Amino acid sequence: MTSLPDTVKDWLGKPVIVMDHVLTVEQGLWANFCVAIEDANPLYWDYRLAREETETVIAPPMMLPSWAIDHDWRPEREGPAPRTLELHFMVKDALGYKNGLVTEVELELHEPLRAGDSVKAEQILRSVGDERETKLGTGRNWEIDVVYHKPDGTLAGVQKLTFLGYGRVEA
Amino acid sequence: MNRTPKPHIGLKLPDLFLPVTRKLVSMGAAASRDWQPQHHDPDWARKAGLPDIIMNNYTQAGLISRFVTDWSGPAGRIGRLRFAMRRPLCPVGNLTIRGAVVDLSAESDTLVWVEIDAEILVGDDIVTTATIRVALPGPGGDSSAWHCSGSRWNP
Repeated sequence: MTSLPDTVKDWLGKPVIVMDHVLTVEQGLWANFCVAIEDANPLYWDYRLAREETETVIAPPMMLPSWAIDHDWRPEREGPAPRTLELHFMVKDALGYKNGLVTEVELELHEPLRAGDSVKAEQILRSVGDERETKLGTGRNWEIDVVYHKPDGTLAGVQKLTFLGYGRVEA
Repeated sequence: MNRTPKPHIGLKLPDLFLPVTRKLVSMGAAASRDWQPQHHDPDWARKAGLPDIIMNNYTQAGLISRFVTDWSGPAGRIGRLRFAMRRPLCPVGNLTIRGAVVDLSAESDTLVWVEIDAEILVGDDIVTTATIRVALPGPGGDSSAWHCSGSRWNP
């Protein structure tokens, strides 16, 4: 295996970045997503029809990871917003790649989120592959899991991501 | 709410057709607060070696979910989605999502797991492949898959 920097080895297998209650889940935010993809599922829109299945309307389950992404600007914050999947950027930078892309995603979905909920998201580096030639140049893959819990500790879901880093940063 | 489909292995779901526009790509990214420049800045994307801006993974997941629940109705509860983005999904042409049931398993009398293989195509090119595991009410039960929780929910 291509040698890894000690910092990256140290990140393997444990929560390195924890994002807690970044955002409150609200219907106005998830409606924008439904509008973008024109998703008419009544569970996201219609309180009367949702009552039978989910008691009240729910956020689209595929939006789960987005509830750990803060608004791009806040009045009280100095500096830029925290980066989406900060651990991915830490790995990319530590390995010296200019670019990084998500190539594979697995979402395991548990308790749905409703208006007023929030999530605690723990980012865990699972593996780093060997350097290889890719269509975009020399690069390598790494895997990150993000585990999402609701404030009462209930599991909301697990996201498993595979990334490709490519393009060496010039010394 | 009582239009739950009766799946069988080999059943093809109705195709989903959608134009891939800059509006769709950038609005999907904005609605998921994903401001990575490859999703809204064509110049940045090209400098990074991409043909154009690319659809983010949240939007692709949302579209695949819509493809399944347009068929299943709200009784369908997706427990697992796995997808691989094989090529950049750029705002050119029309997108098709197609898929079929590849496996069925009854977890209990009240719950059936349906596995669906699907793909996103732009023109004839497959850009993304996906496997979805969705729960539907079983033949012996009238309770919703959404009422299954805790250790009884095994996606």
